[in-house]
Amino acid sequence: MDTESQSLADAEIVLQVVSGDVNAFEYLLKRYQSHVLRIVKRHMPFDKVEEVAQDVFVRAYQSLPTFKRNDSFKQWLSTIATRTCFDFWRKHYRSRELPMSSLSEKHQVWLEQAISNRSSQTFHEIGSQEEAREILDWALDRLSAEERMVLELVYLEGHSVKETADLLGLSTANVKVRSFRSRKKLHKVIKEMLLAQGGRTDDSR
Amino acid sequence: MIPGKHEQEALREILRRARQEKENLEIGDQWQEAVMRRIREFGPIEAKPGFLLMFEQFVWRLAPVTCLLILGLTVLLSSVIFTPGYDTIQLLMNGSEELTLVQFLGL
Repeated sequence: MDTESQSLADAEIVLQVVSGDVNAFEYLLKRYQSHVLRIVKRHMPFDKVEEVAQDVFVRAYQSLPTFKRNDSFKQWLSTIATRTCFDFWRKHYRSRELPMSSLSEKHQVWLEQAISNRSSQTFHEIGSQEEAREILDWALDRLSAEERMVLELVYLEGHSVKETADLLGLSTANVKVRSFRSRKKLHKVIKEMLLAQGGRTDDSR
Repeated sequence: MIPGKHEQEALREILRRARQEKENLEIGDQWQEAVMRRIREFGPIEAKPGFLLMFEQFVWRLAPVTCLLILGLTVLLSSVIFTPGYDTIQLLMNGSEELTLVQFLGL
C-alpha cells in the first residue's frame, strides 16, 4: 500500500472512531505501536516507556476530532508522541520525582578512553555498552526539559530546527537558542566530569 | 582530557549510538490492552468542534453582516449627526434668533 492510500485508509478509520466505533481505534494502535514505541524509547527512561506509550495513544484518541483528513496520521501521531515525552520531562523537572543519576569513576574512565579512540569500529563496539547509555542519561539529567528535548532532536537525531519546532510546538528562534545553549551545556558537564577524573588520576599518582 | 572539536564529534557519535541502542530494549505486550481498556472507559468521542473553532466559524459567518452594519452606520451618522452640526453652525452664523428645535434636529 503506498503512502497516499495508507493515509486515506487511516483517515477512514479515524472517521469510524469519531463516529462512535471505539474498537476501530485498535487498528490504528496495532499499525503504529512500533513507531510510537521507537519515539518513546528514545526519549524516556526504560521503566517509563509503557506508561508514556499508553498516554500517547489515549491522548491521540482524545484529539482525533482535530485530525485533518489530508494530513499524515503518522506525522500527526509523531507530534503527539514527542509532545507527550516533552510534557513528561517538564512535569518531572518540576517535581523531580526520579533521583538524579550519578556516575562512578568507571564511567569517567570509560568515556575518556572512548573519546580518545575515534575509529568507527570502536564506536560500534563501545556504543553498545551500558556505560554509554548511563552517561547519556546522566548528561541529559543536567539539562532543562526544553534543552533536553531540543538536544535530542537536533543534535542526536539530526532533525532540522523547523522540524523540531513543529514537533515541540516552539518557535524556530527558541529552538535555535536552546539548541546552542544545550550543546554548550552538554560539553561543559562532560568537560567538568573529565577534569574531575583527571584530578583524581593525578592525586592517585 | 578537555574535549576539543574532534573529541566533541566523538562524544556526539557515542551518545547518538547509545541512544539508538535504547530502541532495542524489549517492552511487553500488555500495554496495548491497557490502552484499549482506558479508551473504552473513556467512551466514544464526539466530533464536536472546540470553543475556539466554533467562535472562529461564528466570527466569519457574521463578517459580511458586520461590514454592512458598519457601512450603514457610517452613512447614517454622517447624514444625521455631522450634517446638522454643519447646519447648526450655519444657522448660528446667519442669526441665532431663528434657531428652533425643529431646525436644530434637522427635521
